[in-house]
Amino acid sequence: MIRRRVVQIIPVIVLATFVVFGLLQLVPGDIAVTLAGDNATDARIAQIRQSYGLDRPFLVQYGTWLWNAMHLDLSRSYLSNEPVFDQIMHRFPVTLLIVGSALALSLIIGVPFGILAATRPGSFLDTAVTSVASLGVALPNFWLAMILVATFALSWNWFPATGAVALSRSPSQALLHATLPAIALAASGVATVVQQLRSALIEILSSQYVRTLHAKGLSPAAILWQHGLKNVSVTLLTVVGLLVNRLLGATVVVEAVFAIPGMGSLIVHAAVHKDFPVVQGVVLSMVVIVILLNLLIDILYTVLDPRVALK
Amino acid sequence: MTGFLRWLRSHPPAALSLLFLVTLFVLAIMAPVIAPYSPTKQDVNNTLAEASWQHWLGTDDLGRDVFSRLMYGAPITLYASFLAVIVGCVLGIPVGLLAGYLGGRIDDAISRALDALLSFPAIVLAIGVTGALGVGLTNGMIAVGIVFSPQLARLMRAQTLVVKQELYVDAVRCFGASLPRIILKHVMPNAIQPVIVQVTLLLAVALLSEASLSFLGLGVQPPQPSWGAMLARAYNYMEIAPEQMYAPGLAILFTSLAFNTLGEALRVALDPTRKRR
Amino acid sequence: MTHSIDGLDRRAFLALVGAAPLAVTEARAQATPKRGGVLKVSAPSNPSSLDPTTGGAGSDHVFLYTMFDTLVAFDYATLQPVPGLAESWSYPDDTTLVLNIRPGVLFHDGTPCDAEAVKANFDRNRFDERSNVKPDLATVADVTVTGPQQVTLKLKQPDTALPLILSDRAGMMSSPKAFKELGRGHDRAPVGAGPWKFVSWADNERIVVTRFDQYWQPGKPYLDGIELQVIPEVNTGLRSVIAGQNDFVYFLSPQQKTVIDRAKNLTSVTGPTLYCVLLYMNWGRPPLNDVKVRQALNYGVNREEFNQATMNGLSEPAGITLPSAHWAFDAAMAKRYPYDPDKAKALLAEAGYKDGLDLLALGYTDQRHIQRQEVLIEQYRKVGIRLKFQNGTIPEMTNAYMVEKKGDLYLSAWTGRPDPSQTYQLMFAAGSFYNTSRVEAVPEIGPALLETRRYADIPSRKKAFAGLQKIVTENALLVPLVFQWELDAHGPRVKNFKPNLLGKPKFENVYLEG
Repeated sequence: MIRRRVVQIIPVIVLATFVVFGLLQLVPGDIAVTLAGDNATDARIAQIRQSYGLDRPFLVQYGTWLWNAMHLDLSRSYLSNEPVFDQIMHRFPVTLLIVGSALALSLIIGVPFGILAATRPGSFLDTAVTSVASLGVALPNFWLAMILVATFALSWNWFPATGAVALSRSPSQALLHATLPAIALAASGVATVVQQLRSALIEILSSQYVRTLHAKGLSPAAILWQHGLKNVSVTLLTVVGLLVNRLLGATVVVEAVFAIPGMGSLIVHAAVHKDFPVVQGVVLSMVVIVILLNLLIDILYTVLDPRVALK
Repeated sequence: MTGFLRWLRSHPPAALSLLFLVTLFVLAIMAPVIAPYSPTKQDVNNTLAEASWQHWLGTDDLGRDVFSRLMYGAPITLYASFLAVIVGCVLGIPVGLLAGYLGGRIDDAISRALDALLSFPAIVLAIGVTGALGVGLTNGMIAVGIVFSPQLARLMRAQTLVVKQELYVDAVRCFGASLPRIILKHVMPNAIQPVIVQVTLLLAVALLSEASLSFLGLGVQPPQPSWGAMLARAYNYMEIAPEQMYAPGLAILFTSLAFNTLGEALRVALDPTRKRR
Repeated sequence: MTHSIDGLDRRAFLALVGAAPLAVTEARAQATPKRGGVLKVSAPSNPSSLDPTTGGAGSDHVFLYTMFDTLVAFDYATLQPVPGLAESWSYPDDTTLVLNIRPGVLFHDGTPCDAEAVKANFDRNRFDERSNVKPDLATVADVTVTGPQQVTLKLKQPDTALPLILSDRAGMMSSPKAFKELGRGHDRAPVGAGPWKFVSWADNERIVVTRFDQYWQPGKPYLDGIELQVIPEVNTGLRSVIAGQNDFVYFLSPQQKTVIDRAKNLTSVTGPTLYCVLLYMNWGRPPLNDVKVRQALNYGVNREEFNQATMNGLSEPAGITLPSAHWAFDAAMAKRYPYDPDKAKALLAEAGYKDGLDLLALGYTDQRHIQRQEVLIEQYRKVGIRLKFQNGTIPEMTNAYMVEKKGDLYLSAWTGRPDPSQTYQLMFAAGSFYNTSRVEAVPEIGPALLETRRYADIPSRKKAFAGLQKIVTENALLVPLVFQWELDAHGPRVKNFKPNLLGKPKFENVYLEG
C-alpha cells in the first residue's frame, strides 16, 4: 500500500512541477528582453537567452530545470544573483514557525470545542461554537492581523508589531514575535477543525454501530473515547492536510501585515519585481511540502485504520 | 418557487444571507445612482473624519466618502469573486464529468492532474501568475479560478460516478443517444446539485482571495475602489485612525459569511441522506 | 582659484544656504560621545548594489555612507564642500583640478588609499562597462598620478561642479584590490575606506556593518556597528521603532509626524531636503512635445492642495527643482506657474485638445504613491486631462519610462545631487538617462548647462543657474510638485543625530547612551 502511494505521487509531483515551470511561459513577449533590462544590446539579449537556456525547446528547458531542482539547484535570483534554494532555506524556518504554531493552535483549541459541540448537538453551547466557527471561516485573516497589531502591539504594547526572530537566536523572542501572526492565521484553522470534527463526530455518534453500543449499555463517555475519537482521528488527519495548504497560502498576506521576512514576503517581492526563479522556487517548495505531507497522511491512515490498507 | 420561499422562512440565517446578498447586488449595480458622493471626490480639508450625517461612515485619507467607496467597491469585489468561480466551473465541471463518465485510464490520469493542482495554495499560485502576466485583478482571479477547478472537478466526478449507474442513464444509452447528449442532458443535471453548494462556498473563498491580492497591491489598481485596497490604505493609518479599517473589513466579513451561510444551508437542504430521515 | 573652500565666497554661501531652518532635535549641551553599541536602523529599501560605482538608486547612499568615505565631504547644513579623503584640492587653471590625498588611509582589506588607488577608482568609474557614474565624470579628460598622494585631473572644459560631484558616488573610494578580484561580486561584498566595514547582506532583510578599527579619523566611529533592517513599508518601520525593536527609522512620510508626536520616548527629526516629488515629461513626442500642453500641466496642478493631501502640509510646494533654502534658488521662477485651472484649460484648447486629453503616466504600487496618483488624477480631471496610471516597482518603472519610453509622464522623485548642475545635466542634457526623450528640449539648454560650471564663485554661479532655470521653467520641462522634508524618528538611546540638506542620513556622529 505504502509503496503504491509513493509510486502514485510521482506523476503528481511531475505534473505540479510542470505547472510551476509553465508559469514562466505565461510571461508576455520575449522573456530574454525583459530580463536584459536597461539599454540591452542584441548581443546581451542573445547572451541571456543562452545562459538561461531560453533558446532551447520547451521540454528540454523543463527537463533541465527539473533535473536541477531535484538536485536542490533552483537557479539564481535575477535580482540578487543569490541561489534561490539558499534564499528559501534562509526564510523557511520563519514561515515554518508561524505556520506550525498556527496549526498547533488550531488543533489545541479546535479539537476540544469540536468534541464539545458534537456531543451536545442543538444545545446552546453547540450553537455558540458553530456560530463562532462560521465567523472564523469568513474572517479575512489579514484583517484580523491588522486588528491584533492595532490592539495588542500598538495600543497595549504586549507583543512586537513587526518582524521575526529566529528560534536559534532567542527562543522566547521568536515565540513572542510569532504569537500574533500565529493567532491571526489560526482563527480560520480553529473554525475549520471545529466544523469538520463536529460533523464527522455527529455522523459517527449517530451511526447504527454506535446505537448498538448504546443498546448494549456502554456509557456515552466510553463510546466517545473508545469508538468516536478513534474513527475521528482519520478526519483530523484529512483536516491537517487541508489546513497546511490553506495556512501556507494565508501566511503570504499575514507576513505582509507583520513585515515578517518569510516565504510569503519573498514570493510577493519576487512577483512584483519579476524575479521568476524565486517565484518558481517558492511555489515549488510550497507545493512539494503539501504533496509530501499528504503522502505522510495517507501512510498514517493505514496505520490508524488497517481497513484502508486492505482496500 | 413557493417551496423555496417556505424553505427560506424556516431557515432565518439563509434568508438573512440571501437578503444581504441581494441588497449588496442592488447597491453594487445602483451605486452610481444612489451613492451620496463620487468615490473619487476628494476634500483635503476633511480627511480621516469620523462618522457624521454628511458622511455616514466618515471619510478616508483624501477626504473621500467611505460609504460611497464601499458601494463602488462592491461591483469590483463581486466581479472578481464570480470571475474566479466561473473559471473554476468552466474548467472543472467538464473535466469532472468526463473523468467520472469515461472512467478507466482517462479517469486515472485526470485524477492525478487534479491532485497536482489541488496541492497549490490558491493565493500562492495567483501571486505566481500575476508575477508572470503582470499585476491586475483579472489575471489573479483567473489563477484563483484555476486552483478552484480541481475541487469542482472532483465533486463532479464523484457525482457522475453515482449518476451513471442509474437505470435511466443506461436506458438513454441503449436508445443510442450520443455521448455529449447523455452527459449534458442526463448526467450533468442530476449530478450538479452538490456543485452548486460548493460554488456558493467558493464564492466566499474567492472574495477573501480578491481582498488579499488587492491588499498586497497585486489586484485592483487605483483609483478603482476595492475593499481589499481600502484595507491596504487603512493599514497606513492604523495608529492615527484605526477606525478606517472597520468598514471595509466588516463588508468583507459579512459578505463572505453570507455566501458561507447560504452554501451550508443549501448543502443541508439538498443532502439526500437528510431527506430520507 | 587655488583652493575651492577659500575660492568659494564663504560668507555668501553661508548667508544663502545657512539660512536653511535646520531643525535639530536636541538643543541641550553636547555631551561627550560614548563609544560602543550597535545601532539598529529600519531602512525602507533594499540597496540596488553596495558598490557605489554600479548601483543606481538614490536610496543606496544611506548604506554606502557607512562603508565608503568620499574624496570630498559636505557640510551638513550648507552642502558646502569640505575635505574628505582628499585633504585639499585646487584649480591651478580652468581645466585642471589637483587633489591631494590624505596620507595613511587604509581600505578595509588593508590596501592603502593612495594616489594609485584613487586613479584606479577614477578609471573604473569612467570606463567600466557597469559604471553608472560615467555622466558625473563626463568632463574629465585625463587622470594622472602626480605624486604618491596626489592626483591631477585634466578637464575637457571648465567644471567647478566637480568637488561636490566627488562628494557623491563618483567620490566614494573602493579598494582596487577588492573590485579587481571580486568583479561583479564587489556589488555584494564591498570594500571601502569608511568608518564601518561590510559584514553581511541578506536580500530584503538585513545589511550589517561593523567598526573598522583602522579608520583614519581617530576615535571614530562611535558605534560598534549598524544593523540596517529592510522594512519596505515605512509605517511598519516606524512601528518597529515605537515597539523598541529598532532605534532609528528614516524617509518617513509626513503623515507619520502625528504618530511620532503621540508616541512616548520617540524623537522626530526634520529638515529641508532636495528631495523633489515631480512628474517627468517626455517632450520628445506628442502630445508633450507641445509646450502649451506642458504648461497646462503646470498650471493645472494645485501644489498647495497636493502638499496638504499627501504631505500633511509639512512640505514645501515646488516651483523649480531647488528648494527655497538652497543657494541657487530663484524666487521668480518658482512662482511662474500658480494654480490656474482656467489657464490650463485655455492652453489645452489652444493646443487642440478642447475635448480633453488622455495621458498615460507611470508610477509605483505602494500606498503612498497611489495616494499621490489619486490626488493628481482628480486635480487633472478638473482641467480635462484624463490621467491613467500604470504601476510597478521603482527599477521596473524607471526602465519602462526612461529606457523603453513607455508613458507620457512619470510620477517619481528626484533625490537631489550635491551640486545642482548635476541635477540639470542628468535631467535635461541630450542623451542623459533621466531625459527620456534623449534630445534637448530647446537648443539653448546645452550652452546654459555649460555656463553653470564655468565659475567658481557663488554669485556668478547663482546667476548662471538663474539663466538655466528660466529656460527650463519657461519651457515647462517638468512638473515639480513638492519638496519633501526629511522626517526621521529615533528612540531614546540615539544621540547626536543631525540631518543634512541632502536628506540622506549619515550616522558618523551618532552614539548610543544607556
